[in-house]
Amino acid sequence: MNALFSLSTTTKSRLVGAVFIIFLLIAWEVAVDLKWLKIYKFPPPSKCWEAFVELFTSGFPIEQTVDIHIGWTLWRIVQGYVLGCLLAVPLGVVIGSYSLLDKLTAPIITFGRSVAALSLLPLVIFWFGTGEAPKIAIIAYGTFWAMIAHTIAGVKFVDPLLIRAARTLEADQKFIFLHVVIPAALPRIFVGARVALGVAFMVIVGAEMIGTIQGLGALINEARNFYRADITLIGMALIGLLGLGISGVLQLLERILLPWNKGLEEVRR
Amino acid sequence: MNTQENSSKLNDTALGLIGVIALFAIWEIVSYTGIISQEIFPSPSQAVTATLTTMPLSEIGGHVWASLTRVFWGFLIGGSLGIIVGVASGWYAWVGVLTRPLIELTRPIPPLAWIPMAIIWLGLGEPSKIFVISLGAFFPVVTSAYKGMISVDPVLLRAAQTMGLKGWRILFQVALPASLPDLATGIRIGWGLSFGMLVAAELVAANEGMGFMIMHARELGQVGIIIFGIVLIGVVNLVTDYAIGVVIRRQIGKWHTY
Repeated sequence: MNALFSLSTTTKSRLVGAVFIIFLLIAWEVAVDLKWLKIYKFPPPSKCWEAFVELFTSGFPIEQTVDIHIGWTLWRIVQGYVLGCLLAVPLGVVIGSYSLLDKLTAPIITFGRSVAALSLLPLVIFWFGTGEAPKIAIIAYGTFWAMIAHTIAGVKFVDPLLIRAARTLEADQKFIFLHVVIPAALPRIFVGARVALGVAFMVIVGAEMIGTIQGLGALINEARNFYRADITLIGMALIGLLGLGISGVLQLLERILLPWNKGLEEVRR
Repeated sequence: MNTQENSSKLNDTALGLIGVIALFAIWEIVSYTGIISQEIFPSPSQAVTATLTTMPLSEIGGHVWASLTRVFWGFLIGGSLGIIVGVASGWYAWVGVLTRPLIELTRPIPPLAWIPMAIIWLGLGEPSKIFVISLGAFFPVVTSAYKGMISVDPVLLRAAQTMGLKGWRILFQVALPASLPDLATGIRIGWGLSFGMLVAAELVAANEGMGFMIMHARELGQVGIIIFGIVLIGVVNLVTDYAIGVVIRRQIGKWHTY
């Protein structure tokens, strides 16, 4: 009766959940059939399936098949993300290593993070036009602040005990930095990498709504212009799946690259 | 001890202030040397004068107000729904069984991706913007409310039962207060996301609000207003987030140490 007293989510409850979703999908189909819901506003699952096939075969807009959209979105994310990380990580390591620099820049970094990346869209369009550059620039911007904040925190909050232990063992500054500080900071930096990826993914969908017909964000917006809600829904599902896929890959990477990292859940915010 | 802590905090604030002033000074100087054309990247003082000469303060205030009302309603609707659904799905097992899979399936879709659907369903007016903003608040709040409920210490609940508390009174007097810290995290994340959605929604279609202000300035090529507006959006976000943080610490700090 009470979820608090019977915690375990058994296969039985998952089954019920799945049946409920199937029930909802059937109800949706029937509601459209009976004209309770307008088909152009709430395309039923059967129509969405047709849209799915259309996206894979002939594409939408015509010739732009789904692999092109996914490819463009991924390519833009990768470019902006790598650019943002390349700028943020070294800078964050430097700032985190010097307490004075950290104190001087703290409010700037807080502020930079609270400026919504998408609000830069008008500015980057003004600067670079509506091509690829503005999209990559705002992804880099969003990535940069999330990465730099986590990198600084990672370097700053290295357990002093580790550093003292290394000193006792007569390690020099350079050794401590490379073999103690950086490995100890990496788990937090990886949290930043995941947060930044979430930001990048969010921003790209918005950025693609302007000035392009390629990319998943463009796909759902173009479909809207043609009142193809079925395509929009499929596009949304693809965006969700892509997001899950990317964060899964990142988690896997983290496990392979940072075998010493066990207490990540505590650090996670 | 305490005064020492205070003075070191004061010191940090002073250093931070110096950093901000230095940034603006560098920006201003670089702009005057003409390395970057002022028509492309105006200095802070130029951005402010350009804005204030073309736009009366009342107009700027009007945009801020329009945005704040929007984000307030969206956040209120999305947040309340999130609390209701999240708490119910944590308290009643059957609600959890039915709603959790649905929420977990839709959560990976960034709220921004709902904008086209919102426009198809609700048109280009106010409701579609509020819908998208409310999604930004809903998902973090519903998730944290649920997590908060299921991680309430069972000892607390059994103790309450032993003392004769029943049903809803356990929920409202024990389980809910115990889950508040989780909820508070969700609320703050939700506010930040709502704010991001606000800007996006106003960029796509609006005729007032801070997002509209900068998008309109772009059409007219007034780069000073764009920069002023971006900073303004950041400041409003920061101030409101801080205010929510203070309220949360006051209200929830009664029971929990942060």
